[in-house]
Amino acid sequence: MGRAALRGLTTVLCALAAWQIIVVVFQAPAYLLPSPLVVAQKFSLLAGTGDLGRHVLSTLAEVLAGSLAGAVAGLLCGWLFTRLPVLGRLLSPLILLLQTAPKIAIAPILLLWLGLGLAPKVVLVAIVAFFPVMAGAAAGLAGVDKSYRDLARLLRLSAWTRFRRIDLPFAAPPAFAGLRIASTQAMTAAVVGELMGATYGLGYLLNLGQENNDAGVVIAAILMLCVMGWLLHEGVRLAERRFLGWHESQMAQAQA
Amino acid sequence: MIHARGVAKHFLTRGARVEALRPVDLDVARGAFVSIIGPSGCGKSTLLRIIAGLETASEGTLTIESAADQRAGFVFQDAVLLPWLSAEENVRFPLDAAGVPRDEGDATARRLLALVGLQGFEKALPRALSGGMRQRVSIARALSYDPPLLLMDEPFGALDLLTRDRLNDELLTIWTATKKTIIFVTHSVEEAAYLSDRVVVMSPRPGSIKKIYDSPLARPRGERTKLDPAFHQLMADLRRDLA
Repeated sequence: MGRAALRGLTTVLCALAAWQIIVVVFQAPAYLLPSPLVVAQKFSLLAGTGDLGRHVLSTLAEVLAGSLAGAVAGLLCGWLFTRLPVLGRLLSPLILLLQTAPKIAIAPILLLWLGLGLAPKVVLVAIVAFFPVMAGAAAGLAGVDKSYRDLARLLRLSAWTRFRRIDLPFAAPPAFAGLRIASTQAMTAAVVGELMGATYGLGYLLNLGQENNDAGVVIAAILMLCVMGWLLHEGVRLAERRFLGWHESQMAQAQA
Repeated sequence: MIHARGVAKHFLTRGARVEALRPVDLDVARGAFVSIIGPSGCGKSTLLRIIAGLETASEGTLTIESAADQRAGFVFQDAVLLPWLSAEENVRFPLDAAGVPRDEGDATARRLLALVGLQGFEKALPRALSGGMRQRVSIARALSYDPPLLLMDEPFGALDLLTRDRLNDELLTIWTATKKTIIFVTHSVEEAAYLSDRVVVMSPRPGSIKKIYDSPLARPRGERTKLDPAFHQLMADLRRDLA
């Protein structure tokens, strides 16, 4: 384990200890602020019945499927708008309008259309992930030297080969950066969708805890969301490093 | 192998007709090393891009004697390498895109990297290479599909003088070894005089051919060439025409 990880773990343990001390010293009532031990008990209870796993899985599925769909759509649109600027000029006001509306405002209509299942949350997450990826991809492609277009023409590359071998690798780093920014918002979108109406998911669990005046369940759900959010962020970062190593070191060199 | 007759280029910007290149006649023999020299905006790059097929002539006819499917090799002022590919992969890129088998592409890439003096750098990414080395990779890439014609658009313009001199000599070695026809666009009088069989001088806006010199200098070129009075006479003539 690295030093950074050890440091992080120490901080988390200290925070848990502080939490326990506050509960004991101020004698906080358990229905408002249960001690870490009580939360841990709730945790194992929920995990034991398999409920927690189901909630986590359904939120995770929404976030992953939505992010993937949003990222693919964003990448394609960013590419398309760069290749066909007319299309970009026609559609960008519409996209901007959709982008300026708070995503939460879109959630009720999605629930009306798509029901209480995974679908409306996946769509909401996709909408959230779409914009930063599209903007990133478009900006990345706009910055590519015109000579690369000439190169593609000289080599008589097909549109598909050019997309796969030249445009996509150039668009990927800024698109990934967009996705990393979007990953926390994607979690929010999934939870908001679940809060508004769901039968599974951590957002649903939050609602359940609140209705039953069970702060332990609410806190357990929040902690799970923290862990998930962190894992997601790390996942995107690792994927970035794995696939875009050439770019990362290039950036580091440029900054040095 | 190239015959241009009345090749001209104009385009419309906001309704106004801009002449980029006035009608030019130019013949380039197979295996020749021809330089095109002129001030910025004289249309020398435009002429090269028309020959490359990157732009279409507005007027005139251009005949290139080569098999119909044969593409010209092109070297840009910047190396235009794909930064995520190694030197070897960059050289192999045109072959990969054309579906040439992997081992064949590998062998060609290695041979060409050796030809441009980059053996041992096959696995290096472009950012690990100097500007001169990147341009060598770019030349190797242009040669990868064995084009009969190599078009170079101020290929060494962004390099320092020492690197430039060395690459000029290496380019001549490559030219001798591969027997390509080379059209070399430059704004350096010395480069044009040193390298070429023929030097085409262009005049500024709207561009046209002012004069064509057949070089009196012997081959192979080298240090002795630079001491040859004829070399200095040619440079003086070129400078006078460009002034």
